[in-house]
Amino acid sequence: MNAVTTSVNAKRGKLPKKKRSFKDQFTSFLFAAPYLVVFALFIGFPIVFGFIVSLHNWNPIVGPLKFVGLQQYVQLFDFHTLAAQEFWNGLKNTCIFVVISVPFLVSVPTVVAYFIHNARFKDFFRSIYFFPTVMSATAVTTLWSWILATQGGAINGILGISIPWLVNQPWAWVSLTAATVWWTLGFNMLIIYAGLTQIPETTIEAAKMDGAGPFRIFFSLVVPQLRNVLTFVLIISVIQSFNVFAQPQLMTGGGPGSSTQVLTMNIYDQGFRAMHMGSADAMAYMMALILVIISIIQFRVTREKGDS
Amino acid sequence: MNREKKKKWILVVLLGIGCIFILFPLAWMVSTAFKPSAEALNGRLIPSHFTLDNFAQILGTQSAAYVLRWLGNSIFVSFAASVLVVILDSMAAYALARLEFFGRKLLFYAVVSSLMIPFIGLLIPWYLEFSNTGLLDTYWALILPYTGNAFGVFLLYQFFLGIPKDLEEAAIIDGANKWTIWTRVCVPLSVTPTVTLGLLTFMNVYNDFFWPLVASTSKPMLTMTVGVANMAVGEYNTNYSLLMALTIFSVIPMLIAFLFAQRQLRQGIATTGIK
Repeated sequence: MNAVTTSVNAKRGKLPKKKRSFKDQFTSFLFAAPYLVVFALFIGFPIVFGFIVSLHNWNPIVGPLKFVGLQQYVQLFDFHTLAAQEFWNGLKNTCIFVVISVPFLVSVPTVVAYFIHNARFKDFFRSIYFFPTVMSATAVTTLWSWILATQGGAINGILGISIPWLVNQPWAWVSLTAATVWWTLGFNMLIIYAGLTQIPETTIEAAKMDGAGPFRIFFSLVVPQLRNVLTFVLIISVIQSFNVFAQPQLMTGGGPGSSTQVLTMNIYDQGFRAMHMGSADAMAYMMALILVIISIIQFRVTREKGDS
Repeated sequence: MNREKKKKWILVVLLGIGCIFILFPLAWMVSTAFKPSAEALNGRLIPSHFTLDNFAQILGTQSAAYVLRWLGNSIFVSFAASVLVVILDSMAAYALARLEFFGRKLLFYAVVSSLMIPFIGLLIPWYLEFSNTGLLDTYWALILPYTGNAFGVFLLYQFFLGIPKDLEEAAIIDGANKWTIWTRVCVPLSVTPTVTLGLLTFMNVYNDFFWPLVASTSKPMLTMTVGVANMAVGEYNTNYSLLMALTIFSVIPMLIAFLFAQRQLRQGIATTGIK
């Protein structure tokens, strides 16, 4: 009964809104207008314009040279072309980085957040672990390149070893992942920590009463309760790792060989070194498409799991 | 109870060990920056000769003009972008969440779906947009593209939805118009998320590398991130002492921001991240 009356009221409440005068709507619109302008200029228009560019041979200085239709997309599937080889090699390397880095980018902050949540000096530890996040990619990569230098680097120097961290595989991937985890750990940790504070103390107290050990509590109680938060962290970590650029660009330069040459680096080289803007944009749009598909799949999968 | 206490201290010890991993690279950076260049490769954490030469050299030689200029560029650009983002996003979020106008739903869906677009898809169109208008290598190019980002609109939209209708109606009875409702009701109530948005924008713009790398072509218009990266492969290539001193310069503004605003940032990220 109550529900019916409120819904009727809601309908009644909506009626006068529809009758809002043009002037009233217009003054409301004015609040959104300034943002709408920059949104159109720097998001809306670029998306359309970028697609048009990708249909042309486009030189950054001269402009459009020739309309080629979808040829630059088709070319990405023709493995005789250099563009296709670079694109798929880049995609492969990007995927390798995602697969290697994401498990650490989710698990390490989860453990750290759980520890901090249960320890003393919470504020102190949160500050320390968060600090690297405020550094720029350049500062982080410069610093890590120096620490990992084969000659005179801190790690090799202190441990008395001479591992070629940045110039040999698999060490190059290890180094890129370590630097990325060190850098971004704090951000994910804060989000997960916030999730931990939402878990009612009583559930954990009850489990302790029943004699559950710390590992059991963590895996059967805490992790399931954090599902939504961890899903969110997982999705943003995948997106961020997929977009990785600065770490391989500045730490390994894509090497050894082209084994850490990721997709974003290929797009950058294609557009700004080889000056093939159209082809670079076609690659970027393909990459964007792949990323959107991955995100949608992730949303679907995690949502289905949530329903069951 | 005693066992609980013990556990807490075990965790403190484990976290302390973890802190070493976090702090060691930073300590190494500071130590290298205070070592004479000749000693940089000696592999000791504590410099045997403590020196300020590296900092003096960065500030006292020809390159100095550029380093300070890059630092200034970065701070100015990040500050301008944050102020613009905060004002534009707050107004747009207010309109989307609290007002009715034609095309409101369409705009909302456009804004939300734009959050899915990876940055790489925008990079080349931006570059061509600015090079065609002759604005490449200017502050306009370094500031404006960041203002279109929908993250802040979405963040504040969520917050404004939660403001009780009564407050707004009371204000209307008192004769307030839309402008005064925004400035007197919505803005004061949204200080925390707005400040967080400003801080995060400042941090992202200050730390961005990819866009300034292509947007700035002349040395005086570089930002600190691109400047440091250039010096690392150029002038300071093997001189790690100078390079680390320069890196410290680049981190100082964010360090100050961190010290002043860390509580704010922590709470802001914690509450806004999940939504």
